[in-house]
Amino acid sequence: MADPAVMAGGFSAIRSGCGKATSSPAENYQLARRRTLQVVVSSLLTECGFESAEKATVESLTEMIQSYISEVGRCAKAYCEHTARITPTLSDTVVTLNEMGFNVDTLPGYAKRSQRMVITAPPVTNAPVIPKALIAGQKRTHPSHIPSHFPEFPDPHTYIKTPTFREPVSDYQVVREKAASQRRDVERALTRFMAKTGETQSLFKDDVTAFPLIAERPSSIPYLSALLPSELELQTLEETDSSEQDDQTDSENTPVNNLNDDPGADKENSVLLAGSVVPLVKVSEESMIDNPYLRPVKKPKVRRKK
Amino acid sequence: WDLLGLEIDMNRKKDKGFETPLFLNVLTCYVMFIPHTTHQVVCINNINFQRKSVIGFVELTIFPTVVNLNRIKLNSKQCRIYRVRVNDLEAPFIYNDPTLEVCHHESKQRNLNYFSSAYTAAVSAVDPDAGHGELVIKVPSELWKQGDEMNVLKVYIEFSLDQPKGGLHFVVPDVEGSMAERGAHVFSFGYQNSTRFWFPCVDSYSELCTWKLEFTVDASMVAVSCGDLVETVYTHDMRKKTFHYVLPIPTAASNISLSVGPFEILVEPYMHEVTHFCLPQLLPLLKHSMSYLHEIFEFYEEILTCRYPYSCFKTVFVDEAYVQVSSYASMSIFSTNLLHSAMIIDQTPLTRQCLAQALAQQFFGCFISRMSWADEWVLKGISGYIYGLYLKKTFGVNQYRHWIKEELDKMVEYELKMGGVLLHPTFGGGKDKDNPTPHLHFSIKHPHTLSWKYYKMFQCKAHLVMRLIENRISMEFMLQVFNKLLSLASTASSQKYQSHMWSQMLVSTHSFLKSISNVSGKDIGPLIKQWVDQSAVVKFFGSFAFNRKRNVLELEIRQDYTSSGTQKYVGPIKVTVQELDGSFNHTLQIEENSLKHDIPCHSKSRRNKKKKIPLMNGEEVDMDLSAMDADSPLLWIRIDPDMSILRKVEFEQADFMWQYQLRYERDVVAQEESILALEKFPTPASRLALTDILEQDQCFYKVRQGACFCLAKIANSMMSTWTGPPAMKSLFTRMFCCKSCPNIVKTNTFISFQSYFLQKTMPVAMAQLRDIQNLCPKDVLNFILDLIKYNDNRKNKFSDNYYRAELIDALTNSLTPAISISNEVRTVDNLNGDVRLILEEITRSLNMEKLLPSYRNTITVSCLRAIRMLQKNGHIPSDPSLFKSYAEYGHFVDVRVAALEAVVDYTRGMHRTSPSEVSRTHPIPYVVHKILSMLGKNPPFTKAAESPLCNEALVDQLWKLMNSGTSHDWRLRCDAVNLYYTLFGLTRPSCLPLPELGLVLNLKEKKAVLNPTIKPEQGPDTTEMTVSSVSMSSGVAPPPQGLKRKLDSVVGPLGSSSPEPGQVLQEEDTSKKFKIRVRISSEDEIDMESPHDSQAFIHHHLNILERPSTPGQHPVKHPALIILLSDNLEPPAVDQAVLSLPVTPLPSSFGKESTSSSKHSGDHHHHHHHHEHKKKKKKKHKHKHKHKHESKDKERDSHAFSNSPASGRSARSPSMSD
Repeated sequence: MADPAVMAGGFSAIRSGCGKATSSPAENYQLARRRTLQVVVSSLLTECGFESAEKATVESLTEMIQSYISEVGRCAKAYCEHTARITPTLSDTVVTLNEMGFNVDTLPGYAKRSQRMVITAPPVTNAPVIPKALIAGQKRTHPSHIPSHFPEFPDPHTYIKTPTFREPVSDYQVVREKAASQRRDVERALTRFMAKTGETQSLFKDDVTAFPLIAERPSSIPYLSALLPSELELQTLEETDSSEQDDQTDSENTPVNNLNDDPGADKENSVLLAGSVVPLVKVSEESMIDNPYLRPVKKPKVRRKK
Repeated sequence: WDLLGLEIDMNRKKDKGFETPLFLNVLTCYVMFIPHTTHQVVCINNINFQRKSVIGFVELTIFPTVVNLNRIKLNSKQCRIYRVRVNDLEAPFIYNDPTLEVCHHESKQRNLNYFSSAYTAAVSAVDPDAGHGELVIKVPSELWKQGDEMNVLKVYIEFSLDQPKGGLHFVVPDVEGSMAERGAHVFSFGYQNSTRFWFPCVDSYSELCTWKLEFTVDASMVAVSCGDLVETVYTHDMRKKTFHYVLPIPTAASNISLSVGPFEILVEPYMHEVTHFCLPQLLPLLKHSMSYLHEIFEFYEEILTCRYPYSCFKTVFVDEAYVQVSSYASMSIFSTNLLHSAMIIDQTPLTRQCLAQALAQQFFGCFISRMSWADEWVLKGISGYIYGLYLKKTFGVNQYRHWIKEELDKMVEYELKMGGVLLHPTFGGGKDKDNPTPHLHFSIKHPHTLSWKYYKMFQCKAHLVMRLIENRISMEFMLQVFNKLLSLASTASSQKYQSHMWSQMLVSTHSFLKSISNVSGKDIGPLIKQWVDQSAVVKFFGSFAFNRKRNVLELEIRQDYTSSGTQKYVGPIKVTVQELDGSFNHTLQIEENSLKHDIPCHSKSRRNKKKKIPLMNGEEVDMDLSAMDADSPLLWIRIDPDMSILRKVEFEQADFMWQYQLRYERDVVAQEESILALEKFPTPASRLALTDILEQDQCFYKVRQGACFCLAKIANSMMSTWTGPPAMKSLFTRMFCCKSCPNIVKTNTFISFQSYFLQKTMPVAMAQLRDIQNLCPKDVLNFILDLIKYNDNRKNKFSDNYYRAELIDALTNSLTPAISISNEVRTVDNLNGDVRLILEEITRSLNMEKLLPSYRNTITVSCLRAIRMLQKNGHIPSDPSLFKSYAEYGHFVDVRVAALEAVVDYTRGMHRTSPSEVSRTHPIPYVVHKILSMLGKNPPFTKAAESPLCNEALVDQLWKLMNSGTSHDWRLRCDAVNLYYTLFGLTRPSCLPLPELGLVLNLKEKKAVLNPTIKPEQGPDTTEMTVSSVSMSSGVAPPPQGLKRKLDSVVGPLGSSSPEPGQVLQEEDTSKKFKIRVRISSEDEIDMESPHDSQAFIHHHLNILERPSTPGQHPVKHPALIILLSDNLEPPAVDQAVLSLPVTPLPSSFGKESTSSSKHSGDHHHHHHHHEHKKKKKKKHKHKHKHKHESKDKERDSHAFSNSPASGRSARSPSMSD
């Protein structure tokens, strides 16, 4: 009798292997085959009169038998391919067995021995399921001019455009809310960062980190930063005032355009000209302005001769 | 006597071969002939920014008006004078500045009466208008005979200035690079005539001469000064250039100025003779800020029908300016902080106003100068008046009337509080006892003794009086008068070398009034007498009753003319009565004993409801008359609606009348008055009237702003009956919030300035609302927080910095005192939830300012105020360290001032030891001035209250500050005096320990004014202690009878400060006794204190050796700018030195000497002005000896006395003339 423990172990292993359906089907198949071989080895051992075997021994024997069978298969296939066939025949196998030193004639006798154990076929694992194609919506039926034997239309999603995006928030209140909180978050983060990375002053003695104030830094020329508009402000100014500035430059350019007696010249050209001529015009204007502070500084009179 | 003595003295000096002509002597009596300067050359060869020093010379061309001119007196302060030459001959000179240290010796006097009189005397002693000066030059005898032929004298003076504290201000930023790259600049400044601080001159507004000015500066710099720039020439090494200016129009030295710096130059595009200068990088701002200057020019030239008198005009914008605007001949110096970009709304009108003021002063103040200080009001009045006309034209009648009301209220408030402001003081006979303003703690005899606030009010009153004159004689005549003054002056100015004609360029009260009467033919004498020759204002109380039977309005107008600052008014007064039938003006006559005035009414009380009611301006309006009294046709009454009297009116009329007045009267002054009155009537009707005004676009924005605050007050009074949302909230929502989402404010555009100002004001006013628990309603706070949160300026072409700052102010306003459980320390954990939100906003805004600073750092300023308010209300721990760091040099001046204000407030609030060191190593005059005036406004304690801060150390510190520490700046000194007055009053501070002779001291105070030569006790050293105790024992009561005689004899010879007999007589017998004790004790002191003195003397000399001798500079390195308000603080080491220095009496050997001063000066090679102290001291000793021995004659005695600053006037007394 075969060792129930091994038997049980073998089957349970197979079961557990089957239970592990989570792994890929090919792997499952491999595992199942190996379990079967294990059972075969165990039953052979029982047949030979062993009461128990170490697991490692069983494994080795399984490996050996697997190699043997594989070799038989391989050689048989080689023989059949040698004869330009694709499926091995019995004779291929016989040749192979002979080649490997096995007396084929003993095989029927062995197969019909009395004390042989019958092993149940390994459970057939389900073939891996091919996922169904996505069916979205009704397939279109053929129009009347297309015979019905023609293939069906594919799924509508393959040819119908179905754009997917979220509706933008156009509600004024929400936009303002968002802009406000975004700005506030940025400001807070920025000031916190500055406070964390630089020196701070604190309003509380017990908790210096609460409400940190970025430490004031005396500047050598404090009026500059206080009077000149910040870059941010300049930016907005440029945006809002661009039209006005255009007017100004236009008026400055008028004499230039007059000088340049081709009013039809393309824009780039005139702009270039304007850029190069304007300073000249300014200089001439300034020289026209009789202001003592614009006059050139005189060279000292040389008195050494005296 | 002295002339001879002095000559001997000089000869001796020469004989002994002194290299340096620097010697000092006591200023004694000279006959003063006022020579006439016709031309002056000022040449500054070298300006060293690194060392902050200036070297140059002046050359005055003097036309002697008398034969034998032998003394020339000039003004000079601070300057170190190297040599003086008269017509190429070396001339000896004497330098004495009694204002350096007002009260000599480390006196224990400490009372303000004493100080004020001494200070006045000191200023008088060098008053250029009286022909005095700090610098006395002896004309070499070789030239005396020339005087017969009246030849001109050329006085050449070489001088230098080293680190001047006054007169010139150096701004040298501490960054890398050359001076030009650093933006270093220097400019002249001062209050009134302060030119003497930077070059020797006759520093008077009445002394006109032509000028040649030369300044050699670094090639990268520009020197801007008065007159026409003739040429600019490189020096030989090409590293420097010299600016040559010529000012052919006779100008007073006080109107000369200079500024040097790496300025950017902008030529006015409309007027090429006008040039603007600003510091590097600010050119775009300058362009924008100056873009409307030509309009102001045009305006003034048009109304005055007179060209701008100078051939050019320059504006210079400098940092750390002394005042916002200061005008000099053909140039004005402005604070650089007036510059702004096109994005700034709030600063624009202010800058324009400053420009307009400066230009007005060019005509009246610079071109036309004044004859004497008493005529100052004419100039200030005219320039203020024409500035007002400009305001009216540019900013509208509403703004103008609002401004007039504001100025009037301000002035009236000041006068009622402090006593009258006198425009035209006359000093009958020059006697002190004729002090026209006894209520003031300072003298108004000189501009330099005036309190700054007083001077401001003086200017205010001057232009208001000009307006009164205009009311009287019409504007047309007024402008004709101005035109006349100007054309006379310009005729005179074109006269070359005819200096006698130049007096036409000086205006005096007399000449002004004369041309008024010539032009208008009207007598304005009573008006002048009432408002110019007399101080004080009028206070009216009005009430009325309507007599239905007679259909008469019975108006009662009472006056209060007994309390301080008030005077009686007799004359016409206008009353406007708005009746149902229309508005009627009545002119009532205020007479001596008539209080009641009957005014007949036009309309019977019957009313035609359909009829519209005509208003004063001809407009006819529908009114809801249901509120008014059915029996009376009166809608409202106004007393003196045109403000043609300098008055305060308290008028009683029913609340509905005020409401009608607010709604329907079109005059902004009336509207503002009614808003003020409605505060007392918290009713739904008032609420409605105010709300209606707020909503009315037509209404002047300042009235609407006022209505906001009034509404908040009314809402608070009506707390229990108030219905609906918090006041103004729905209004604000409707006006400024989005239609779709009423909790979110619209994005900023600020296109309509009226609504911009209203939008700014409303949250601030709303934050003043309180609920029943006296807290700011939660609604309101959240509303304001939302305003901050949703504020969006991205699409705005204007900056929102002022708006954001006001929102922070609103948060500040919403704060209420924390509920304190005990005296626990404020921690983060027990922070109230609302306060946490507020603090979060403030922290974030303040931090953002570091990254994106706002214009003029307005937000930082508001945040600092908010933090102080949080501290004050006990939400966060009270701690001045944050403010102190913001108060340091290197922050924008507005921030510094705000921080200092918080520190001052802290000092007041805490009532405990808190040394608040104010201002550091870089004193900016403006900031120090601000500190002192803020301390004065918000004193840590007053004379009435007890305070631990009030202690001896503080008294000493302050005393020292005003006595010697502020000698470089008149304004600062007066500020210090003001502060001293606020803290301690006129008498001796109560906190001073009563010394052994305490009683004597207290009594002596009265006496001290009369006889400052009484030697006071020494400081609290041990030596002195013994001295006083010894003196106690030695001075045991001599018979009172004899003492009185002795006293009188002491007082007698002092012609200048002769005591009021009444005052002496008032003294009780006991007081006399004690007084005499002091005398005796002080005599004894001479010997007793000798060991101590010799020590000090050595110390003193060591000090001199260490420092170069600078006659101009006071040797005392007084840390004037460290005011330590502390009770346990030892004065720093410097102070100790200071303490000992001014005291420095002579060692006993000198003290006993009674030889002439020449010997003394021969003995010492240190020609330091300290000698003068010694000499004085010595003379005093002499004097005392005389008293002991009673052997010397009295004349000498009086000479000795004339050294004392208080008796400086005696120099002019006729008996002393030779």
